[in-house]
Amino acid sequence: MQNGINGNVGINNRTLTGGKISNESFITLCMLGVLIVLFGLACLFVPNFYYLQNIINLITNSWFIIVLGIGVTFLLVTGNFDMSVGGIIAMSGVISVYFSQTAGTSRSVLDNGLGLPYGVAIALALIAALIIGAINAFFVTKLKVASIIVTLGTMSVARGIAQVLTTGSQRNVNMPDVFGVFGNITVISSIKLAVFIMVALVIAAIIVEKNTIFGRRTYLIGANSQAARLSGVKVERHVTILYLVSSLLAGLVGILLASEYISGNSNRGMGLEFDALVLVLLGGTSIAGGFGSVSGSVIGALILSVVTSSATGLLLRPEWQYLLKGAIVFIAIMAQRFALDRRKI
Amino acid sequence: MSDYVLEIKNLIKDFPGVRAVNDVSFDIKRNTIHCLVGENGAGKTTLIKILTGAYMRTSGTILLNGDKYEAHNTKDARQKGVSTLFQELNIVDQLTVEENLTLGSEDTFMGFLKKTDKIKKIISTLNSLEPSINPKQLVSSLSVAKKQIVEIAKAVATESDIIIMDEPTAAISESEIERLFKIIRGLREKNVTVIYISHRLDEIFEIGDYVTVMRDGKHIETKPISEVKDRLELIKMMIGKTIFEKYIPKESQTGQVLLEVKNITTDKLKDISFEVKRGEVVGFYGLVGAGKTELARAIFGADPYKGEIVFKGRKLSNSPDKAIEAGIALVPEERRSQGLFTVLTIRNNIPVMNMKKISRSGFINSTKEKRVAADYIEKLRIVTNTMEKQASKLSGGNQQKVVFAKCLFADTDLLILDEPTRGIDVGAKSEIYNIIRQLSGEGKSILIFSSELTEIVNICDRIFLMYDGDMKAEMQNSDDINSEEIIHIATGGVVECKTV
Repeated sequence: MQNGINGNVGINNRTLTGGKISNESFITLCMLGVLIVLFGLACLFVPNFYYLQNIINLITNSWFIIVLGIGVTFLLVTGNFDMSVGGIIAMSGVISVYFSQTAGTSRSVLDNGLGLPYGVAIALALIAALIIGAINAFFVTKLKVASIIVTLGTMSVARGIAQVLTTGSQRNVNMPDVFGVFGNITVISSIKLAVFIMVALVIAAIIVEKNTIFGRRTYLIGANSQAARLSGVKVERHVTILYLVSSLLAGLVGILLASEYISGNSNRGMGLEFDALVLVLLGGTSIAGGFGSVSGSVIGALILSVVTSSATGLLLRPEWQYLLKGAIVFIAIMAQRFALDRRKI
Repeated sequence: MSDYVLEIKNLIKDFPGVRAVNDVSFDIKRNTIHCLVGENGAGKTTLIKILTGAYMRTSGTILLNGDKYEAHNTKDARQKGVSTLFQELNIVDQLTVEENLTLGSEDTFMGFLKKTDKIKKIISTLNSLEPSINPKQLVSSLSVAKKQIVEIAKAVATESDIIIMDEPTAAISESEIERLFKIIRGLREKNVTVIYISHRLDEIFEIGDYVTVMRDGKHIETKPISEVKDRLELIKMMIGKTIFEKYIPKESQTGQVLLEVKNITTDKLKDISFEVKRGEVVGFYGLVGAGKTELARAIFGADPYKGEIVFKGRKLSNSPDKAIEAGIALVPEERRSQGLFTVLTIRNNIPVMNMKKISRSGFINSTKEKRVAADYIEKLRIVTNTMEKQASKLSGGNQQKVVFAKCLFADTDLLILDEPTRGIDVGAKSEIYNIIRQLSGEGKSILIFSSELTEIVNICDRIFLMYDGDMKAEMQNSDDINSEEIIHIATGGVVECKTV
């Protein structure tokens, strides 16, 4: 607070850059602390929680929510929501099944598809996801509709498409053999390919976020979109790209999950958009924009994972899990506020 | 009761580094229209804010009807008898006229609204002021002038002694001004005193009974309008014998033309054309609402316009990123909402307009970024202990320097400055003037849009005068420039000399 009134001119660069870490890293470290404490508690109370296999499961079971979290984090840093990701998962999964199911072999509607090659089917599923992202971007950037309204709308549209294509249920027969490969292929000792895709995406996202002009502009838009525009940032284009990326990631998750379960289920990913939002907020990203990080979101995802899995381990009934999750979210977010308020630069 | 409704005695208001109101004493006669005039920064607004309770005075006394007066907020002021018609009207568009009039003073019976005499009184007051307004009408369907009348009615009905009107004619049309004036004159009979603030001097002569002139925070004169000879006398009182920091005339500019503005027209601007040469500092002077900001933003491509802007011989397209690419930067009017990324650090703020310079194929070189930040912190004397400080935690002057650093780092040939020194202290001001002179020496052209005459006269080579979206006159600056004439034209006076 107290800086010399009479100009500190000529201060050398060392003092100017200071030794302090940024607020984002600070919050990420705080949440890492919360994660470790929660993990410690879980180890005390839940039998076998500290087993290496369980720890690996905590991470691998969160791969899809972390992938969603990347797109949602970037968008929330610009001050925009994406609630359509859960719907897109169902839609792209169902489309990848429907398009690759053999055509006209059975009398049941749900057993008949379009008979396209699997590669074409997933390409079209990704394009469908991109179209949802484009609709989000169009309404948010061109028509200036609040992003939460737009994406809640497209959430229903995407899920609606999945429901129509499956008559509200699922498609799980007559797919080509290759269909189940990607979602179930393992790389190192039973860890799925999808987990490695997640790790690669997280690393790429952190590099983009911290070290590139693109990442920096994301923060500028969230911090002050008017000033960003007047500083030469193409705000609309940038937000459009982020919506496309977010929906593409959700589409990818949908296709991988469909492959993993060898089915296109219209109810898959229900509520995941809220989980994704919660983990992004747990990771310290601010709803006001201009603040947050992907690494924080990953930690947020792990916190959620520890909480749900210890709840299962404690044999809590599912309905109680919601309460526990809610309580943890409150405690974590209060801890964040408290920590940030104490911190002064 | 005394003859005077309001007596101000030795009023002082200090801000850090500035005495905004300096030992001001004057009285306001009951049931008159009392005008308050002065240049920007003369202290009018501060004085009014003390009366309405937005600021607390540092010292001095104010007597309202002979009793000590002190307001803690606008509502408190209203209850004590001082109502204000702000430029930003205090009115809810989505409600009806009647709901607005009773807002905040509703009488209820067990939570249900009651129609009481109070409401009837307000409505009959409105009816007597302006019968054409239907109380059941939605406020959003009213013109600005009629909204003002609704507010006036509310003030009259709650038996205000004083209504303060801050530039009430800034946003309304000629014919509406006439109607508003009729109502203001009528207020005298309703036992209301009006304190009227306007930059449009003709209005002062049209409706004022008394005029008080302020300058540099001091009270200069209070007298009946009938004793003021003409606009010129008023202007002389407003600017006094202010000695301008001397303008240093430059060699006559013979450089090549950098910017050509051709027939720019928007909702606000009326067919504006001019040229700027390399190395020139060009000033645009005019009142609030003259269209300065609109012009600045149009040149930068921030708002759409009709017409053509040619920069370095090429037609400029209408978007800020293209403008920056071509070599134009803008220091916007509102630094916090348009210029600064307040939640980001100083280091992150400075390079945003020229990221290419601190990066390679899209990747930011953080060593370079830190060097640039340290460089500009030193060059512009930004007072901070670390470049990692959030921009929101800097003082106004230092924030403005960060915005300047941002635009300087963009390394453009043309710099557009919109109110570059608004709200910053004298020291930072003169530093910013030095930067401007230095840049012009380096051959860069600078456009300054300002409502501060001293600023314009001190540093600009050429001055354009704007009034109501129109370019009224062009003047070459010299050390004996006629500042009275500048004010005369900028306040809507008839142009007698060289016109554009």
